[in-house]
Amino acid sequence: MSGIETVKAIVDAEKEAARIVEDATTRAAAIRKKIGSSIQEQRQQMLAEAKKNASTIAERAKEEGRIEADRYEKEYEQNLRELVAKASAKKAATVEKLMAIITQVDK
Amino acid sequence: MMSESSRFTEDILTTARGKAESLVREAEAEAQRASEEAKLAISKDVETLIRNARADADAVKRRQISEARHRSKIREQQQKDVVMQEVLVEVKKRSLEFTLNETRYIPLLSRLIETGIRELGVNAATIHLNEADLKRVSALAVEKELKSLSERVKIEWSREPIAASGGAIISSSDGRVRIVSTLDQRLEALEPKLLIEAGKTLFGE
Repeated sequence: MSGIETVKAIVDAEKEAARIVEDATTRAAAIRKKIGSSIQEQRQQMLAEAKKNASTIAERAKEEGRIEADRYEKEYEQNLRELVAKASAKKAATVEKLMAIITQVDK
Repeated sequence: MMSESSRFTEDILTTARGKAESLVREAEAEAQRASEEAKLAISKDVETLIRNARADADAVKRRQISEARHRSKIREQQQKDVVMQEVLVEVKKRSLEFTLNETRYIPLLSRLIETGIRELGVNAATIHLNEADLKRVSALAVEKELKSLSERVKIEWSREPIAASGGAIISSSDGRVRIVSTLDQRLEALEPKLLIEAGKTLFGE
């Protein structure tokens, strides 16, 4: 190989080496870019799913709260009816007791 | 056999390939790390979001139950008030009826007058009654009840009727000091006590 041919071969090798490194740099950048968008996509997907779950939790709790509140009020209403019925039965005795207070004057 | 220059160019390319491989490997490792870190961060965010949603949901549930309790308490109080007011109305009605029964009313009227005179602390007092009592209540009957007191205190009976359902107003002779012992005043003054007693008897409170 002549001197010129040797120099040309080295220059070509340098060019090829630069291309190889450049390709690798481009590939590495693509890998980084891809993971970035993949992470973003995954984040959006998982958060959307979580928000959907959160919404389900809220709806369920609201319904459970409504049912429990309704049950509480019905039970309370029943107890109250009984209480008022018992109290009504004691009205006459209460009137007597209050009349005794009114008509009793301490000297 | 490879020439010197061929080896040299091959070295250049080998070095470049090595560097290329290293660049890609580094990017892949970096991507792997970023992915794992991101997964962890997203999981934490999701966990926080769900935890907050559960806390909010519990608060909503508690608030609904608390509001139901509050509504029930208000209804209970309203219904108790209705019963208590019915009792008070009946007591007022019975008080009026009570004044018609002289056998029971005269002793009460006498005690009200006596207490009033004692509170006034005077030697002479004027007693004011309502129109019905002025017509039907015998001053003698009351004075008989007040026997021990009327010996020490000069009692005068006003002819001017007062507006009251029963009882009396006792005033000093000059009219400057007076004790209101009417049934209406008594009912009004006793109302808090009557309500407490009614609550105890009716509802065991």
